[in-house]
Amino acid sequence: MAQEKQRFWLTFDANGVTRPLIWEMSQKYKVIFNIRSSSVTKEVGIIALELEGEREEIKSAVKWLEGAGVQVEPVEINTIEG
Amino acid sequence: MATEFFNHLKCRECGRRYPKKAIHVCEFDFGPLEADYDYDLIRSAISRAKIESRPQTMWRYRELLPIDAEPTVGLQVGYTPLVKADRLAKALGVKELYVKNDTVNYPTLSFKDRVVSVALSRAKELGFKIVACASTGNLANSVAANAASAGLKSYVLIPADLEASKVLNSLVYGTNVIGIHGAYDQVNRLCSEIAGKYGWGFVNVNLRPYYAEGSKSMGFEIAEQLGWRIPTHTVVPMASGSLLTKITKSYEEAIKVGLLDETPFHIHGAQATGCNPIAFAHKSGTDLIKPQPKPNTIAKSLAIGTPADGYYAVNTMRKTGGSAEDATDAEIIEAIKLLAETEGIFAETAGGVTVACAKKMIASGKIADNGPIVLCITGHGLKTSEALQEHLAKPRLIKPSLREFDQLIAAEEALEAAQ
Repeated sequence: MAQEKQRFWLTFDANGVTRPLIWEMSQKYKVIFNIRSSSVTKEVGIIALELEGEREEIKSAVKWLEGAGVQVEPVEINTIEG
Repeated sequence: MATEFFNHLKCRECGRRYPKKAIHVCEFDFGPLEADYDYDLIRSAISRAKIESRPQTMWRYRELLPIDAEPTVGLQVGYTPLVKADRLAKALGVKELYVKNDTVNYPTLSFKDRVVSVALSRAKELGFKIVACASTGNLANSVAANAASAGLKSYVLIPADLEASKVLNSLVYGTNVIGIHGAYDQVNRLCSEIAGKYGWGFVNVNLRPYYAEGSKSMGFEIAEQLGWRIPTHTVVPMASGSLLTKITKSYEEAIKVGLLDETPFHIHGAQATGCNPIAFAHKSGTDLIKPQPKPNTIAKSLAIGTPADGYYAVNTMRKTGGSAEDATDAEIIEAIKLLAETEGIFAETAGGVTVACAKKMIASGKIADNGPIVLCITGHGLKTSEALQEHLAKPRLIKPSLREFDQLIAAEEALEAAQ
Protein backbone atom coordinates (compact mmCIF):
# COMPACT_ATOMS: atom_id res chain seq x y z
CA MET A 1 0.00 0.00 0.00
CA ALA A 2 1.14 3.50 -0.80
CA GLN A 3 2.30 5.74 2.00
CA GLU A 4 0.83 9.20 2.22
CA LYS A 5 1.11 12.27 4.40
CA GLN A 6 -1.85 14.13 5.84
CA ARG A 7 -1.90 17.33 7.89
CA PHE A 8 -4.23 18.03 10.77
CA TRP A 9 -5.05 20.53 13.48
CA LEU A 10 -5.76 18.78 16.78
CA THR A 11 -7.66 20.50 19.55
CA PHE A 12 -7.63 19.01 23.08
CA ASP A 13 -9.91 20.03 25.91
CA ALA A 14 -8.84 20.19 29.57
CA ASN A 15 -9.08 16.40 30.02
CA GLY A 16 -7.03 15.65 26.91
CA VAL A 17 -4.26 18.11 27.72
CA THR A 18 -2.78 15.94 30.48
CA ARG A 19 -3.02 12.58 28.66
CA PRO A 20 -0.21 11.53 26.24
CA LEU A 21 -2.70 10.91 23.45
CA ILE A 22 -0.35 11.23 20.51
CA TRP A 23 2.06 8.71 22.03
CA GLU A 24 -0.85 6.34 22.70
CA MET A 25 -2.00 6.72 19.09
CA SER A 26 1.46 5.91 17.76
CA GLN A 27 1.54 2.74 19.88
CA LYS A 28 -1.80 1.54 18.50
CA TYR A 29 -1.43 2.47 14.81
CA LYS A 30 1.39 2.27 12.31
CA VAL A 31 1.70 5.97 11.61
CA ILE A 32 4.65 8.31 11.83
CA PHE A 33 3.74 11.56 13.56
CA ASN A 34 5.49 14.89 13.30
CA ILE A 35 4.42 17.83 15.48
CA ARG A 36 4.92 21.08 13.55
CA SER A 37 3.68 23.58 16.11
CA SER A 38 1.71 23.57 19.33
CA SER A 39 0.17 25.76 21.95
CA VAL A 40 -1.04 24.30 25.21
CA THR A 41 -2.65 25.86 28.26
CA LYS A 42 -4.46 24.30 31.21
CA GLU A 43 -7.78 24.52 29.39
CA VAL A 44 -7.04 23.82 25.74
CA GLY A 45 -4.27 22.52 23.54
CA ILE A 46 -3.81 23.03 19.81
CA ILE A 47 -1.30 20.97 17.83
CA ALA A 48 -0.34 21.01 14.16
CA LEU A 49 0.30 17.36 13.34
CA GLU A 50 1.52 15.57 10.25
CA LEU A 51 0.70 11.88 9.96
CA GLU A 52 2.46 9.55 7.54
CA GLY A 53 1.35 6.04 6.79
CA GLU A 54 -1.14 4.00 4.80
CA ARG A 55 -4.37 5.81 4.10
CA GLU A 56 -6.53 3.38 6.09
CA GLU A 57 -4.10 3.39 9.00
CA ILE A 58 -4.19 7.22 9.14
CA LYS A 59 -7.99 7.10 8.99
CA SER A 60 -8.09 4.64 11.91
CA ALA A 61 -5.66 6.74 13.95
CA VAL A 62 -7.79 9.86 13.38
CA LYS A 63 -10.91 7.97 14.36
CA TRP A 64 -9.22 6.77 17.54
CA LEU A 65 -8.15 10.31 18.45
CA GLU A 66 -11.70 11.55 17.89
CA GLY A 67 -13.00 8.75 20.09
CA ALA A 68 -10.62 9.95 22.79
CA GLY A 69 -12.24 13.39 22.68
CA VAL A 70 -9.78 15.19 20.41
CA GLN A 71 -11.17 17.39 17.67
CA VAL A 72 -9.29 16.55 14.48
CA GLU A 73 -9.53 18.85 11.46
CA PRO A 74 -7.61 18.83 8.21
CA VAL A 75 -5.44 21.96 7.96
CA GLU A 76 -7.89 23.20 5.36
CA ILE A 77 -10.43 24.07 8.05
CA ASN A 78 -13.39 26.28 7.23
CA THR A 79 -13.76 24.73 3.83
CA ILE A 80 -17.48 25.34 4.11
CA GLU A 81 -18.33 29.02 4.35
CA GLY A 82 -21.56 30.93 4.64
CA MET B 1 -0.03 45.70 -18.04
CA ALA B 2 2.07 43.27 -16.02
CA THR B 3 3.13 44.60 -12.65
CA GLU B 4 5.47 43.59 -9.88
CA PHE B 5 3.56 45.07 -6.95
CA PHE B 6 2.56 41.66 -5.63
CA ASN B 7 5.78 39.80 -4.85
CA HIS B 8 5.18 36.47 -3.19
CA LEU B 9 3.25 34.59 -0.53
CA LYS B 10 4.53 34.67 3.02
CA CYS B 11 3.78 32.50 6.07
CA ARG B 12 2.01 34.56 8.69
CA GLU B 13 3.72 32.53 11.43
CA CYS B 14 7.36 32.08 10.42
CA GLY B 15 7.65 34.57 7.55
CA ARG B 16 8.97 31.98 5.05
CA ARG B 17 8.43 33.04 1.46
CA TYR B 18 6.61 30.98 -1.15
CA PRO B 19 6.00 31.42 -4.90
CA LYS B 20 2.68 32.93 -6.04
CA LYS B 21 1.00 29.58 -6.73
CA ALA B 22 -2.26 27.93 -5.66
CA ILE B 23 -1.01 27.06 -2.18
CA HIS B 24 -2.26 28.24 1.17
CA VAL B 25 -0.38 26.57 4.04
CA CYS B 26 3.25 26.81 5.14
CA GLU B 27 5.02 23.49 4.67
CA PHE B 28 6.85 23.91 7.96
CA ASP B 29 4.36 25.00 10.60
CA PHE B 30 1.03 24.87 8.69
CA GLY B 31 0.65 28.62 9.21
CA PRO B 32 -1.58 30.45 6.70
CA LEU B 33 0.09 32.03 3.67
CA GLU B 34 -0.60 35.65 2.92
CA ALA B 35 0.11 37.94 -0.05
CA ASP B 36 3.09 40.24 0.37
CA TYR B 37 3.77 43.34 -1.70
CA ASP B 38 6.53 45.76 -2.64
CA TYR B 39 5.18 48.69 -0.64
CA ASP B 40 7.94 51.12 -1.70
CA LEU B 41 7.05 50.54 -5.33
CA ILE B 42 3.34 50.93 -4.62
CA ARG B 43 4.01 54.13 -2.70
CA SER B 44 5.72 55.63 -5.74
CA ALA B 45 3.03 54.37 -8.12
CA ILE B 46 -0.24 55.50 -6.53
CA SER B 47 -1.74 58.58 -4.95
CA ARG B 48 -5.16 59.68 -3.70
CA ALA B 49 -5.70 61.68 -6.91
CA LYS B 50 -4.82 58.71 -9.11
CA ILE B 51 -7.22 56.43 -7.26
CA GLU B 52 -10.00 59.04 -7.34
CA SER B 53 -9.66 59.30 -11.12
CA ARG B 54 -10.42 55.59 -11.58
CA PRO B 55 -13.81 53.87 -11.99
CA GLN B 56 -15.78 53.42 -8.77
CA THR B 57 -15.14 49.72 -8.16
CA MET B 58 -12.94 47.80 -5.72
CA TRP B 59 -10.30 47.52 -8.45
CA ARG B 60 -9.33 51.18 -8.00
CA TYR B 61 -6.96 49.80 -5.32
CA ARG B 62 -5.59 47.25 -7.76
CA GLU B 63 -1.92 47.74 -6.77
CA LEU B 64 -2.79 46.43 -3.29
CA LEU B 65 -4.61 43.34 -4.56
CA PRO B 66 -2.82 40.04 -5.36
CA ILE B 67 -3.01 39.68 -9.13
CA ASP B 68 -0.30 40.10 -11.76
CA ALA B 69 -2.15 41.65 -14.70
CA GLU B 70 -5.40 43.59 -14.99
CA PRO B 71 -8.45 41.99 -13.30
CA THR B 72 -10.63 39.80 -15.49
CA VAL B 73 -13.47 38.77 -13.16
CA GLY B 74 -15.89 40.97 -11.22
CA LEU B 75 -14.95 44.27 -12.83
CA GLN B 76 -18.03 46.01 -11.38
CA VAL B 77 -17.67 44.76 -7.81
CA GLY B 78 -17.39 47.05 -4.81
CA TYR B 79 -17.46 50.77 -4.05
CA THR B 80 -20.71 50.28 -2.20
CA PRO B 81 -22.21 53.27 -0.34
CA LEU B 82 -20.89 54.48 3.00
CA VAL B 83 -24.15 55.77 4.44
CA LYS B 84 -24.11 58.47 7.12
CA ALA B 85 -26.59 56.89 9.49
CA ASP B 86 -27.90 59.82 11.53
CA ARG B 87 -31.18 58.24 12.58
CA LEU B 88 -29.46 55.04 13.73
CA ALA B 89 -26.82 57.17 15.47
CA LYS B 90 -29.56 58.92 17.42
CA ALA B 91 -31.12 55.60 18.39
CA LEU B 92 -27.78 54.29 19.63
CA GLY B 93 -26.82 57.55 21.33
CA VAL B 94 -23.72 58.55 19.33
CA LYS B 95 -22.86 61.52 17.14
CA GLU B 96 -21.11 60.18 14.04
CA LEU B 97 -22.12 56.78 12.70
CA TYR B 98 -21.81 55.23 9.23
CA VAL B 99 -23.00 52.03 7.62
CA LYS B 100 -20.75 50.42 4.99
CA ASN B 101 -23.53 48.97 2.93
CA ASP B 102 -22.41 45.79 1.17
CA THR B 103 -26.04 44.63 0.97
CA VAL B 104 -25.95 46.24 -2.48
CA ASN B 105 -22.66 44.77 -3.64
CA TYR B 106 -22.67 43.58 -7.25
CA PRO B 107 -23.64 41.02 -8.49
CA THR B 108 -24.89 38.82 -5.58
CA LEU B 109 -25.62 41.31 -2.79
CA SER B 110 -22.93 40.37 -0.31
CA PHE B 111 -19.30 41.20 0.45
CA LYS B 112 -18.33 37.76 -0.88
CA ASP B 113 -18.30 39.26 -4.37
CA ARG B 114 -15.14 41.12 -3.33
CA VAL B 115 -13.21 38.00 -2.32
CA VAL B 116 -14.52 35.88 -5.17
CA SER B 117 -13.64 38.39 -7.87
CA VAL B 118 -10.02 38.42 -6.66
CA ALA B 119 -9.89 34.62 -6.29
CA LEU B 120 -11.29 34.02 -9.77
CA SER B 121 -9.14 36.69 -11.44
CA ARG B 122 -6.13 34.98 -9.90
CA ALA B 123 -7.51 31.52 -10.81
CA LYS B 124 -7.54 32.57 -14.46
CA GLU B 125 -3.98 33.86 -14.21
CA LEU B 126 -2.92 30.53 -12.74
CA GLY B 127 -4.61 28.66 -15.60
CA PHE B 128 -7.52 27.01 -13.76
CA LYS B 129 -10.45 25.99 -15.94
CA ILE B 130 -12.63 24.72 -13.07
CA VAL B 131 -13.33 26.60 -9.85
CA ALA B 132 -15.17 25.36 -6.80
CA CYS B 133 -16.25 26.12 -3.28
CA ALA B 134 -18.08 24.54 -0.39
CA SER B 135 -20.68 26.86 1.02
CA THR B 136 -24.05 27.15 2.68
CA GLY B 137 -25.04 30.45 1.08
CA ASN B 138 -23.38 33.70 0.08
CA LEU B 139 -20.09 32.27 -1.10
CA ALA B 140 -21.80 29.68 -3.31
CA ASN B 141 -24.00 32.33 -4.93
CA SER B 142 -21.03 34.56 -5.64
CA VAL B 143 -18.80 31.82 -7.06
CA ALA B 144 -21.63 30.58 -9.28
CA ALA B 145 -22.45 34.05 -10.62
CA ASN B 146 -18.92 35.32 -11.11
CA ALA B 147 -17.74 32.03 -12.66
CA ALA B 148 -20.68 32.15 -15.08
CA SER B 149 -19.83 35.66 -16.23
CA ALA B 150 -16.15 34.73 -16.59
CA GLY B 151 -16.92 31.59 -18.58
CA LEU B 152 -15.39 29.29 -15.97
CA LYS B 153 -16.88 25.90 -15.12
CA SER B 154 -17.86 25.80 -11.46
CA TYR B 155 -18.78 23.27 -8.77
CA VAL B 156 -20.57 24.16 -5.58
CA LEU B 157 -20.54 21.61 -2.76
CA ILE B 158 -23.28 21.89 -0.17
CA PRO B 159 -24.56 19.89 2.81
CA ALA B 160 -27.36 17.70 1.42
CA ASP B 161 -30.00 19.10 3.81
CA LEU B 162 -29.55 22.75 2.81
CA GLU B 163 -32.79 24.71 2.26
CA ALA B 164 -34.12 24.67 -1.31
CA SER B 165 -34.17 28.47 -1.65
CA LYS B 166 -30.44 28.69 -1.01
CA VAL B 167 -29.70 26.01 -3.57
CA LEU B 168 -31.85 27.78 -6.14
CA ASN B 169 -29.79 30.96 -5.83
CA SER B 170 -26.75 29.03 -7.05
CA LEU B 171 -28.46 26.68 -9.53
CA VAL B 172 -29.79 29.57 -11.59
CA TYR B 173 -26.26 30.41 -12.74
CA GLY B 174 -25.78 26.97 -14.27
CA THR B 175 -23.24 25.81 -11.72
CA ASN B 176 -22.85 22.13 -10.77
CA VAL B 177 -24.37 21.77 -7.32
CA ILE B 178 -23.41 18.64 -5.38
CA GLY B 179 -25.17 17.84 -2.10
CA ILE B 180 -23.18 15.79 0.38
CA HIS B 181 -24.79 13.68 3.08
CA GLY B 182 -23.09 13.96 6.42
CA ALA B 183 -22.26 16.15 9.37
CA TYR B 184 -20.50 19.46 8.88
CA ASP B 185 -17.03 18.13 9.73
CA GLN B 186 -17.38 15.15 7.37
CA VAL B 187 -18.40 17.43 4.51
CA ASN B 188 -15.52 19.72 5.40
CA ARG B 189 -13.02 16.87 5.30
CA LEU B 190 -14.25 15.58 1.95
CA CYS B 191 -13.94 19.06 0.45
CA SER B 192 -10.35 19.39 1.57
CA GLU B 193 -9.60 15.98 0.01
CA ILE B 194 -11.26 16.97 -3.26
CA ALA B 195 -9.29 20.21 -3.34
CA GLY B 196 -6.07 18.24 -2.95
CA LYS B 197 -6.91 15.52 -5.48
CA TYR B 198 -8.67 17.20 -8.39
CA GLY B 199 -6.51 20.23 -8.94
CA TRP B 200 -9.46 22.58 -9.10
CA GLY B 201 -9.25 26.17 -7.97
CA PHE B 202 -11.04 25.99 -4.64
CA VAL B 203 -11.64 29.64 -3.77
CA ASN B 204 -11.39 29.24 0.00
CA VAL B 205 -8.86 26.39 0.07
CA ASN B 206 -5.93 26.52 -2.35
CA LEU B 207 -6.84 30.04 -3.57
CA ARG B 208 -7.40 31.30 -0.03
CA PRO B 209 -4.42 33.72 0.12
CA TYR B 210 -5.82 35.55 -2.93
CA TYR B 211 -9.46 35.22 -1.92
CA ALA B 212 -8.90 36.64 1.57
CA GLU B 213 -7.10 39.73 0.25
CA GLY B 214 -10.27 40.83 -1.55
CA SER B 215 -11.73 41.78 1.84
CA LYS B 216 -9.22 44.62 2.12
CA SER B 217 -11.10 46.55 -0.54
CA MET B 218 -13.89 47.13 1.98
CA GLY B 219 -11.44 48.88 4.31
CA PHE B 220 -9.84 50.97 1.54
CA GLU B 221 -13.28 52.13 0.46
CA ILE B 222 -14.36 53.03 4.01
CA ALA B 223 -11.28 55.22 4.47
CA GLU B 224 -11.57 56.91 1.08
CA GLN B 225 -15.32 57.54 1.45
CA LEU B 226 -14.68 59.03 4.87
CA GLY B 227 -12.46 61.63 3.20
CA TRP B 228 -9.23 59.61 3.44
CA ARG B 229 -9.60 59.12 7.18
CA ILE B 230 -9.52 55.96 9.25
CA PRO B 231 -12.67 55.66 11.36
CA THR B 232 -11.99 55.72 15.10
CA HIS B 233 -14.12 52.59 15.50
CA THR B 234 -14.90 49.86 12.96
CA VAL B 235 -17.32 47.07 13.91
CA VAL B 236 -16.88 43.90 11.85
CA PRO B 237 -18.87 40.64 11.90
CA MET B 238 -16.73 37.55 12.52
CA ALA B 239 -17.13 34.08 11.03
CA SER B 240 -13.58 32.83 10.39
CA GLY B 241 -12.27 36.21 11.57
CA SER B 242 -10.66 36.87 8.20
CA LEU B 243 -12.65 40.01 7.30
CA LEU B 244 -11.68 41.68 10.58
CA THR B 245 -7.97 41.03 10.11
CA LYS B 246 -8.06 42.11 6.47
CA ILE B 247 -9.86 45.40 7.16
CA THR B 248 -7.15 46.11 9.72
CA LYS B 249 -4.49 45.18 7.16
CA SER B 250 -6.09 47.57 4.67
CA TYR B 251 -5.81 50.52 7.08
CA GLU B 252 -2.20 49.61 7.90
CA GLU B 253 -1.24 49.21 4.25
CA ALA B 254 -2.88 52.47 3.24
CA ILE B 255 -0.80 54.22 5.92
CA LYS B 256 2.32 52.41 4.72
CA VAL B 257 1.91 53.55 1.10
CA GLY B 258 1.09 57.13 2.06
CA LEU B 259 -2.65 57.20 1.31
CA LEU B 260 -3.67 57.74 4.94
CA ASP B 261 -2.25 59.57 7.93
CA GLU B 262 -1.47 57.41 10.92
CA THR B 263 -4.25 57.94 13.45
CA PRO B 264 -5.39 55.67 16.28
CA PHE B 265 -8.16 53.23 15.38
CA HIS B 266 -10.05 50.46 17.16
CA ILE B 267 -11.32 47.30 15.49
CA HIS B 268 -14.26 45.58 17.19
CA GLY B 269 -15.59 42.10 16.44
CA ALA B 270 -19.20 40.89 16.45
CA GLN B 271 -20.49 37.31 16.72
CA ALA B 272 -23.72 35.51 17.47
CA THR B 273 -24.03 34.11 20.99
CA GLY B 274 -24.92 30.72 19.47
CA CYS B 275 -21.49 30.57 17.82
CA ASN B 276 -19.03 32.88 19.55
CA PRO B 277 -15.64 31.16 19.81
CA ILE B 278 -13.67 34.32 18.91
CA ALA B 279 -15.68 36.73 21.08
CA PHE B 280 -15.52 34.24 23.95
CA ALA B 281 -11.73 33.92 23.70
CA HIS B 282 -11.35 37.71 23.63
CA LYS B 283 -13.63 38.19 26.61
CA SER B 284 -11.80 35.42 28.50
CA GLY B 285 -8.45 37.11 27.95
CA THR B 286 -6.92 34.28 25.92
CA ASP B 287 -5.98 33.91 22.28
CA LEU B 288 -6.59 30.17 22.18
CA ILE B 289 -9.85 29.50 20.41
CA LYS B 290 -12.03 26.81 21.92
CA PRO B 291 -13.97 25.21 19.06
CA GLN B 292 -17.74 25.26 19.15
CA PRO B 293 -18.75 21.88 17.69
CA LYS B 294 -22.48 22.62 17.41
CA PRO B 295 -23.23 26.21 16.40
CA ASN B 296 -26.83 27.22 17.04
CA THR B 297 -27.81 30.63 15.71
CA ILE B 298 -29.99 32.23 13.04
CA ALA B 299 -26.83 33.98 11.79
CA LYS B 300 -25.80 30.94 9.75
CA SER B 301 -23.31 32.81 7.57
CA LEU B 302 -21.27 33.47 10.73
CA ALA B 303 -21.67 29.99 12.23
CA ILE B 304 -18.10 28.69 11.97
CA GLY B 305 -17.24 26.72 15.09
CA THR B 306 -13.53 26.40 14.33
CA PRO B 307 -12.54 29.81 12.94
CA ALA B 308 -9.31 29.63 10.95
CA ASP B 309 -8.34 33.23 11.65
CA GLY B 310 -9.76 33.39 15.17
CA TYR B 311 -6.34 33.66 16.79
CA TYR B 312 -5.37 36.55 14.51
CA ALA B 313 -8.73 38.27 15.02
CA VAL B 314 -8.38 38.17 18.82
CA ASN B 315 -4.89 39.60 18.62
CA THR B 316 -5.98 42.30 16.18
CA MET B 317 -8.78 43.45 18.48
CA ARG B 318 -6.39 43.45 21.42
CA LYS B 319 -3.64 45.28 19.52
CA THR B 320 -5.99 48.04 18.37
CA GLY B 321 -7.76 48.42 21.72
CA GLY B 322 -10.97 47.04 20.27
CA SER B 323 -13.55 44.81 21.90
CA ALA B 324 -15.61 41.72 21.11
CA GLU B 325 -19.28 41.16 21.74
CA ASP B 326 -21.96 38.64 20.89
CA ALA B 327 -25.72 38.86 20.35
CA THR B 328 -28.60 36.45 20.93
CA ASP B 329 -31.07 35.53 18.19
CA ALA B 330 -33.69 37.88 19.70
CA GLU B 331 -31.18 40.75 19.77
CA ILE B 332 -30.20 40.01 16.15
CA ILE B 333 -33.84 40.23 14.99
CA GLU B 334 -34.37 43.49 16.90
CA ALA B 335 -31.21 44.93 15.35
CA ILE B 336 -32.23 43.98 11.80
CA LYS B 337 -35.51 45.82 12.38
CA LEU B 338 -33.75 48.81 13.94
CA LEU B 339 -31.41 49.20 10.95
CA ALA B 340 -34.29 48.82 8.50
CA GLU B 341 -36.62 51.24 10.34
CA THR B 342 -33.99 53.94 10.90
CA GLU B 343 -31.93 53.76 7.70
CA GLY B 344 -34.01 51.82 5.18
CA ILE B 345 -31.34 49.14 4.92
CA PHE B 346 -32.42 45.50 5.04
CA ALA B 347 -29.50 43.41 6.25
CA GLU B 348 -29.14 39.66 6.54
CA THR B 349 -28.78 38.11 9.99
CA ALA B 350 -25.01 38.79 10.03
CA GLY B 351 -25.86 42.52 9.71
CA GLY B 352 -28.17 42.17 12.68
CA VAL B 353 -25.25 40.72 14.63
CA THR B 354 -23.08 43.74 13.80
CA VAL B 355 -25.72 46.29 14.76
CA ALA B 356 -26.74 44.44 17.94
CA CYS B 357 -23.15 44.09 19.10
CA ALA B 358 -22.36 47.74 18.27
CA LYS B 359 -25.38 48.74 20.36
CA LYS B 360 -24.04 46.75 23.33
CA MET B 361 -20.50 48.11 22.89
CA ILE B 362 -21.77 51.68 22.85
CA ALA B 363 -24.03 51.11 25.87
CA SER B 364 -21.19 49.57 27.88
CA GLY B 365 -18.68 52.26 26.91
CA LYS B 366 -16.44 49.86 24.97
CA ILE B 367 -17.08 52.13 21.99
CA ALA B 368 -16.63 55.74 23.10
CA ASP B 369 -18.40 58.53 21.23
CA ASN B 370 -15.06 60.08 20.30
CA GLY B 371 -14.99 59.89 16.50
CA PRO B 372 -16.50 58.24 13.45
CA ILE B 373 -17.94 54.75 13.97
CA VAL B 374 -18.39 52.46 10.96
CA LEU B 375 -20.57 49.34 10.98
CA CYS B 376 -19.75 46.76 8.29
CA ILE B 377 -22.99 45.33 6.91
CA THR B 378 -22.05 42.42 4.70
CA GLY B 379 -25.15 40.91 3.06
CA HIS B 380 -28.73 41.62 1.97
CA GLY B 381 -31.73 40.73 4.12
CA LEU B 382 -33.55 38.94 1.31
CA LYS B 383 -30.99 36.16 1.72
CA THR B 384 -32.22 35.31 5.22
CA SER B 385 -35.76 36.66 5.19
CA GLU B 386 -37.12 33.41 6.71
CA ALA B 387 -35.45 34.40 10.00
CA LEU B 388 -37.83 37.35 10.29
CA GLN B 389 -41.06 35.64 9.31
CA GLU B 390 -42.48 35.21 12.81
CA HIS B 391 -41.22 38.56 14.06
CA LEU B 392 -42.93 41.17 11.89
CA ALA B 393 -46.42 42.66 12.08
CA LYS B 394 -48.95 41.12 9.70
CA PRO B 395 -50.67 43.29 7.06
CA ARG B 396 -54.09 44.53 8.12
CA LEU B 397 -56.88 43.28 5.85
CA ILE B 398 -59.95 45.23 4.80
CA LYS B 399 -62.73 44.87 2.24
CA PRO B 400 -62.53 47.01 -0.94
CA SER B 401 -64.51 49.76 0.80
CA LEU B 402 -63.50 53.38 1.38
CA ARG B 403 -65.51 53.40 4.60
CA GLU B 404 -63.45 50.55 6.03
CA PHE B 405 -60.26 52.30 5.02
CA ASP B 406 -61.42 55.55 6.66
CA GLN B 407 -62.20 53.66 9.86
CA LEU B 408 -58.78 52.03 9.88
CA ILE B 409 -56.94 55.36 9.43
CA ALA B 410 -59.16 57.10 12.01
CA ALA B 411 -58.43 54.36 14.55
CA GLU B 412 -54.72 54.67 13.84
CA GLU B 413 -54.78 58.47 14.26
CA ALA B 414 -56.68 58.14 17.52
CA LEU B 415 -54.08 55.69 18.77
CA GLU B 416 -51.22 58.02 17.78
CA ALA B 417 -52.93 60.99 19.48
CA ALA B 418 -53.33 58.97 22.67
CA GLN B 419 -49.62 58.10 22.79
